[in-house]
Amino acid sequence: MTMLRFEWLLLIRSRLTLAALIVLSVLSIFAVARGLHEVARQNAVIAHLETLQKNDMSDLAKAYGPEGDAGYAAYYSFHHTFDPPSRLAFAALGQRDVLPYNLRVRALGLQAQLYEGDIFNPELALPGRFDLSFVLVYLTPLFLVVLLHDLVSGEAESGRLSLLRAAPKAGIALWLRRAALRSALVFAAVAVPFVAGAVIAQAPVAGVMGGVALIALYVMFWTALCLLTAAFGFGSRINALVLLSQWVILVLVAPTLAHIAISRSVPVPQGVDIVLKHRQLVHGAWEVPKDLTMQRFFHSHPEWKATAPLGKTFEWKWYFAFHHVGDESVAADVATYRGRILQRQALAEGVGYLLPSVGVQAAMERLGDTDIRGYLSYQDQIKTFHTALRRFYYPYIFNKTPFPEPEYAKVPRFEPRSYGGGIGGFYLLTLAALSAGLGGGGVWLMRKRIV
Amino acid sequence: MSRVLTIALNEGRALLRNRTAVISAALFLLLSLMAILNAWDQFRYAQGLRQTYQSEANQTFDAQPDRHPHRMVHYGHFVFRPLNPMAAFDPGVDAFTGQMLYLEGHRQNSANFSDTRQNTSLVRFGQLTPAFCLQVLAPLLLIFLGFGVIARERENGTLVLCLTQGVTGPQMFWGKALCLAVVAGLILLPALVSLGWLATQAMLGWGLTLAILTGYVLYLLIWTMGIVLVSRFARRGREALLGLIALWAFFCVFVPRIAPDLIAHARPLLTQMETDIRIHKELKAMGDSHNPDDPYFNAFRQKVLKSYGVSRVEDLPVNYKGLLALEGERMTSALFKAYADRNFGQQHAQTRLMDGVGLLAPVLAVQRVSMSGAGTDLSAYQAFLEQGEAYRFGLVQHLNQLQATALTYADDTNKARENRISHDHWTNYPDFVFRPPAMAERLERLSPALGVLALWCGVLLGLGQWSALRLERLMK
Repeated sequence: MTMLRFEWLLLIRSRLTLAALIVLSVLSIFAVARGLHEVARQNAVIAHLETLQKNDMSDLAKAYGPEGDAGYAAYYSFHHTFDPPSRLAFAALGQRDVLPYNLRVRALGLQAQLYEGDIFNPELALPGRFDLSFVLVYLTPLFLVVLLHDLVSGEAESGRLSLLRAAPKAGIALWLRRAALRSALVFAAVAVPFVAGAVIAQAPVAGVMGGVALIALYVMFWTALCLLTAAFGFGSRINALVLLSQWVILVLVAPTLAHIAISRSVPVPQGVDIVLKHRQLVHGAWEVPKDLTMQRFFHSHPEWKATAPLGKTFEWKWYFAFHHVGDESVAADVATYRGRILQRQALAEGVGYLLPSVGVQAAMERLGDTDIRGYLSYQDQIKTFHTALRRFYYPYIFNKTPFPEPEYAKVPRFEPRSYGGGIGGFYLLTLAALSAGLGGGGVWLMRKRIV
Repeated sequence: MSRVLTIALNEGRALLRNRTAVISAALFLLLSLMAILNAWDQFRYAQGLRQTYQSEANQTFDAQPDRHPHRMVHYGHFVFRPLNPMAAFDPGVDAFTGQMLYLEGHRQNSANFSDTRQNTSLVRFGQLTPAFCLQVLAPLLLIFLGFGVIARERENGTLVLCLTQGVTGPQMFWGKALCLAVVAGLILLPALVSLGWLATQAMLGWGLTLAILTGYVLYLLIWTMGIVLVSRFARRGREALLGLIALWAFFCVFVPRIAPDLIAHARPLLTQMETDIRIHKELKAMGDSHNPDDPYFNAFRQKVLKSYGVSRVEDLPVNYKGLLALEGERMTSALFKAYADRNFGQQHAQTRLMDGVGLLAPVLAVQRVSMSGAGTDLSAYQAFLEQGEAYRFGLVQHLNQLQATALTYADDTNKARENRISHDHWTNYPDFVFRPPAMAERLERLSPALGVLALWCGVLLGLGQWSALRLERLMK
């Protein structure tokens, strides 16, 4: 314990070390504050749109209520779907800046509506967000390199190494203690703001623990790399160069190569195809005999088979039927499209087992539920809601039940999806094993070469 | 002068003997080469795909059977954003912007199916392109190669030795700087070859190619000078390395991330949904063509009747429903345009702020030069959206005009009758052709950033000379 206190005294006397730790803490605190702020902003946007939508709906009810035609109600009324950020989203804002989290849908063909995007400035989206996952994945390793690159070599260069070796109880305990203390402080500089942010955001305890574990393991991984590099006994300058090269490869270069490899090996069938096909089907319906369309619709909705046959003039039930038949006809393509995107995501997560930079970023986004998986489950939620919406209007449309103003209040309301994120225990274990392996190798080598 | 050359040559020889330097430089060149090949391959694939889609969309549109023109208004048309060969050099915002625009009557859709929507978050780590290599990796390589140019000599005591031998401070300083500048030139070479080749493919023109080239030359010169300067002031090689890495992380990683975040926060954009709701509301306030007592459309009817000198819509020589459709589309499109202009204005205000930050971070300035020069920036994307909207409006009004002239009012209001007109009317409608922003416009947009880079360069060169003159003080 006293030894650790001495280490602490040494540490706080080193201006570089102290400055590095303070800068990292400030960056983490700032990132957490930005994240919390952004989450609050997204929630405010959702609430604002919810109000606008409510007013829009009541205007609509006033305008079309007197006519009482359910067809008009279903055709003209849009419904607000939204995907509120999770309580842990503040730590990794993920893809929420480029993927929409608000979408208006109506009871018409969903596939023509599902891929609409929100307005964002692509030039601002280009570099990615400044959040805690960025501080952790990109910047924390750099700080560790600054603090640990001269672990042994610093003593050698100042001429104290032989003295330390000659001391009683010499060994590598000193280096391990020093490395442990410094990386523990680096961990605290990131983890404490994270926990504080999580408390403010009222995040679930299990998720917070998962996030803390992730931060700890990523710091451990880089500490292990630093130990291993130090064990080779180069000078401080070479150590710094070697460690920085590792950082460049792991954080900057390898992910881009992985991206190329994944997008080449899993070509995503273009979502464009779905929309083109869907439009062909929906608009082609005007050329197809109406009864044929109805037969296709009754195939999946037999409960409406017994309703009155179509007359010569335009009828809403035929209109909504062909919209739905359009959706049904592209269902297989939609499933493939979605499957391929998930396949890409799974591959990227697989790459994460080899590249902790990619793995930890993906895990943080999974924890915040802000990645493409989260977005796809938002799409599922929209789909469920859209089905409920259609099924709500069908009785009015097929039975020609009047739809006066009070009915508008009965329209189903969108329920946001529940938190679907989490942290993979297996991933944490692998990362721990990887760090332990590297660190163990470093200790073994150090014992052999330095003592 | 000859001494400057000797010092530069000596430093070059030392670099060649340094195994880590040679290996990292070789790795960088390999990476640049891969970036070029991959980017070009991806470009050809994506471009081929979009061309196929566009010609298919044109064919299906032309092949539509005889129909009521208003059905064609709803059937609509698709336009695809053509890729620009320069995207293989600098994709700019390409991965984040929609590639397909659905054009239909009454509605203005967003451009959909950007790469980011069908990709993993790996794309956010950056894409390996020649531009990424030059903007982010090249400075890092230069730091690795050059952090010790002067600091190491000082650490080893050879600096004082040289200076006492009659080498002047400026000779020492500029010799080292010259060597690193030559290295920077070599680093730039493969990217430049690809730039030249892609520029001819894209028919970019000399002005823009030269502007992009100048931008990167200035950018790497800024880093060269920065590195030699830090190396000159550092007492030890390690200090120089850590200081330079801190500078690099600050300028190339930190500022580009933090600045857009703060700007997006300070200048929020209107959401798509709110835009839609507002447009709908304003439209309703202007007039409702379905309402027989609507004041706006009653006045419109009176005006039409008066201009034709008849008293009933049934007596008009044209189909009044077509005229209503024309008027309705004119009104909605005017609103779409007003909101689009406002939205583009907001985004440009954000981008201008970003360019302002570029004064402090040269990487942002070089990004501006590169993206705007290549035509892969926000403005190029907005030009596509605007031209798409103009094409939509022209097409829809062409069809509405057909409804007014090729159908009679009596037929069109007869609900029991199926009204169709010959498909010849739209088969021959001209196809969509995208015209990228003109060279003058792009040069105008990138020249302030070029000025910023030149300013940085000038300041650093001046600082270099100032510090070089003081180098001899180290002997005391």
